[in-house]
Order: sequence, then C-alpha cells, then structure tokens
Amino acid sequence: MSWHVHPELLDEYQRGGLDAARVMAVEVHMTACGSCRATVPGDTRWLDDNFHAVLDVVQAPRRSLAERLLCLLGVPEHRALVLAATPALRRSWLAATAVVLAFAVSAAYLGREGQPTLLWFLMVAPVLPVLAVATAYGAVVDRLHEISSTTPMAGPSLVLWRALAVVGVSMSMGVAAAMLLPDRGWYAVAWLLPAFLLCLGSLAMTTVMPLQLAAGLLGGAWLTVVTVLANVLAAPGVEVDAAVQRQIFGPTAQAAYLVAGLAAALILIMRRRRLEPGGSR
Amino acid sequence: MTTVRIAGLGKHFGSTVALDGVDLEIGTGLTGFLGPNGAGKTTLLRCLATALAPDRGRLDILGHDPALATQRTALRRRLGYLPQNPGLYPNFTAFALLDYVAVLKELTDRRERHREVRRVLEEVQLSDRAGTKIRKLSGGMRQRVALAQALLGNPDLLILDEPTVGLDPEQRMSFRALISRLGESRTVLLSTHQTEDVGALCERVVVMRGGRAVFDGTPLALAGLAVDRVWLSAQPPSGSRAYWRTADGRYRTLGERPDGGEATVPSIEDGYLTLLGPVAVGAPR
Repeated sequence: MSWHVHPELLDEYQRGGLDAARVMAVEVHMTACGSCRATVPGDTRWLDDNFHAVLDVVQAPRRSLAERLLCLLGVPEHRALVLAATPALRRSWLAATAVVLAFAVSAAYLGREGQPTLLWFLMVAPVLPVLAVATAYGAVVDRLHEISSTTPMAGPSLVLWRALAVVGVSMSMGVAAAMLLPDRGWYAVAWLLPAFLLCLGSLAMTTVMPLQLAAGLLGGAWLTVVTVLANVLAAPGVEVDAAVQRQIFGPTAQAAYLVAGLAAALILIMRRRRLEPGGSR
Repeated sequence: MTTVRIAGLGKHFGSTVALDGVDLEIGTGLTGFLGPNGAGKTTLLRCLATALAPDRGRLDILGHDPALATQRTALRRRLGYLPQNPGLYPNFTAFALLDYVAVLKELTDRRERHREVRRVLEEVQLSDRAGTKIRKLSGGMRQRVALAQALLGNPDLLILDEPTVGLDPEQRMSFRALISRLGESRTVLLSTHQTEDVGALCERVVVMRGGRAVFDGTPLALAGLAVDRVWLSAQPPSGSRAYWRTADGRYRTLGERPDGGEATVPSIEDGYLTLLGPVAVGAPR
C-alpha cells in the first residue's frame, strides 16, 4: 500500500467522530493495509461480547414449547428451563394421564345400572397429581439426580418447584376433563381438595421417607378408603354412589381436607431442610 | 494447604459397613483413591460431594461443614462432581444439558451461562459437538460431557469417580492432560481402578480396603511396598504365587523369590497388590 490514512483522520475515526461515508472509506483502506490496521487498537472486550452474542444465536439450544409458555406467563428464563426439564413432564406421562382421565370420564357416562356416576372420576382424579409428584424428583425417576443433588439448587427449592410444575399441569388436565363430565354440578371439582391434601401430604412425608414411597402410601390409602367405604355403604335401598359422594366429597369432608392440607403444608415448611440430599432425615 | 479434613467418617447400608472410621487430610493438587470393589471409595466421594450424609464423623471441606444445611449449599457452590455412573438426559444436546446443569449451579444470567457452557465444552474439546444429542455421542464423548458439567462454575474442589472408565487409550491420555492441568490450582479427588492413572497423575494416593484408608502416601511409596518382592525368572515359579509371562518370555512373579529370579523395579500396581494381597485380585477376604 503506497499511501496511509492521515494520523488526524485516524484519531477522529477512533474517537467515533467521522461521518458514515468517511468511516467506510477508512475501513475499506484498513481491510487491505496491515500497517494502518495495526495503529488502531482492537476493542477485544467489545469483539468478545459480539462474538458470544452471535454464538448465542447460532449455537444455543432452541427453547422448548413448555419453556416458551412459562416465559410468556412471566416465569424467569432460568426457572422455566428447570421446570421444563422435570422428568414427569414427558410426553409419555402426559399421554398416560390423558388416557386415565378419558377412561374416568367414559366411566362416568357409562355409569352403574344405567345411571351416570362421578364416583370413578372422583376416586381417580386426586391420585393423578400425587403420581405426578412421585415422578418429579429423585434417583428412581431422574437419571441426572446424582449430579443435580450436589448442586446449590438441590433440595427443597428444586423439589417444590418441580412438584408445583407437575401438580399445575395434572390439575389443569383434571379440571379440563371434569368439564366433560355428565350432570356435573359442584361435585365435578370436589376432587381438588383431596388432591391438594394428597400432594402436600406426600411432600410432608418425604421428610421422613423417599418421595415415591410416600406418594404410593398416600395414593394407595386414598383408593383403599374410597373402595372400602363404597362396599360398607352398599345396602338394600341405599344409592351407594350418592352416599359415598356425600361421605367423602361432601362439605364436612372438604373442610377436613382443607385443614389436613394446611397442616401438611405447615409440616413441610417446618421440615423443608430435610428434603436436602446429603442431609439426614 | 489442607482443603479437605475427614475425621472418623463412618457410613453403613443396612448391615454392610461402607466406611469404617476414615481419617484423612487432603490439600491442593491431585489425590488418587485406589481400592477393590466395595472398598468404600465411591461412598467416601459421595459423602464429600454432599450426595450422601455420613452416619458418623466430621467433615470440613473448603472451610464448610456439610452437616449444616446452609454450609452444605455454600460448599455446593464451590464443588464439581463427576459420579461413577453419570446419567445424562439422552434427548438433550450436549449444550442443552450443560445449560441445564449450569442453571442448577445458579448461573442464572443467560448470556453469562452460555459463555460458561462454551468454555467447558472447549475444555473437553467438544465445541464441535455442542448441538449433538447425548444419545448420538460415543461413550468417550458422553464421559467428556459428564466431566464438562463438573467443570461448570470453575469449582475449587473437583470430585471425579472413575473418570477414565470406558475410554480408549487416546481419550484417556487427553483426559489425563486435562485432569492434571485442573489439579494445578485446585483440589482434585480421583477414584480409579487404574493404577497407571494414579502413577501418571497423582502426587498422593490413598488405598482403601473394607471401608478404611489402609495406605496414604506418594505413588512412589506405594510402589516401594513391593521392593524385593517382584522378580523376573526364566521358569514359572512353583507354588501359588501370582505370576504372569511377560512379552520377552520371562515370568514376572510377585511375592517370594522364585528359583533363579532377579529382582526388578516394582510398579504402583505391584505395591497395590502387595498391600491388599488376595483381596486386590478378587479372592475372598
């Protein structure tokens, strides 16, 4: 290169005082002239930031649908990433839940002895969120558990966020299914408080035993109680389903579920540190 | 400087005693843990990594007591852990998996987090596989992704349980180079069955047996246990001594001198076998 950019012009270029046309002229020259290029110190931090910004667009993983939905709901990006990775929120689990609810709704239409009944639906619906909670956290269900349990986010924070995610999804599915029930009345949502109690109860029991065991015990106990009661109340002249609905899902029972659920929540708050892996129960 | 203090550490699973009063003090640099299966290496490392609570004893790791919940969380901010069987989500890409673990390590700012993910991918030479799903990676590459997650956040303490298992010689060599570089400025605890790894990497070796630390010293000192116990002879030895035929056709014997045997320089493996006796080669204790 036989000519070089005048030092004053170069100073002005570095200060950012040139108009666009002259900036372009200087840069075209510097592309070909190593000597002039060497006189302009590179802003390595700016270059580095831009390089990473470009890489972010090119290389970073695409957000999943669940992540995007959560972000739209105002959940911070990093929290949405953790929630969307919850092991229970797999397509297979969502499909299984949908199938069980479809059967329960179908059973309501088929009914017993020609009469529609909500009993099967009310019996099954509270158990689904508990099963979801059971598959949300722990070495049995999460192949990354050994690694995640040694990170600062391990413990109550991760367990509760994941439980919240799966309970939210399964309860939403349950409510949607309840809208399809025949002759639904308020009993269509009578399963919500039992579900609330079973979920919180499982989490509270997790402070003394593994989550899957706690959920299995409570879910099993619920199914057993409803089945036994249906048989106990079966008598000539008694409309069993209506009697069970009153006993297990009536206002008195609902109040009891609420109180028990709040007690479980209190226990969970007080003993939340025991949800820590690496801590003793 | 001592970074890890272990005092009287005990752990049992049902009637099985996994750790039986381990006492150790470990400082910056690479420390290797050797021992047969069931010796307690993995249990010890899991306790140090805060994945498992010991039944008794005390731990002081980087100035934190992991028995206390708040200090356990503080410690987790400073450690990286590669478990023996790192389960990785097969449908995640290498980048997405590391991104997820980075969030669990409290790297919440997306741009900073991605920068850190790229850094560790480069450390383990997997930048070109960032977008590949884990299930499509070879065993060695998955192991490198698993190591990369341990490096996120540049931890002061690295706990690596069998990091070179399943790697081919070339990958093991590159792993060794990386691990030795990491050990220059931090505490690295490495459990392995490979005595060559310990010899190549560690300035200190702890041999475990039956839940106890039965040797604690340099690799050279471990090899020294077999001085005058390793022989080369033209004929196989009589009796039940452990021996094998070498490439030059002579017999290498560990134990009493065979007829016509010449003493040879012992390896770390010789020292290890001498220390543990039949247990090391799978015979009943």
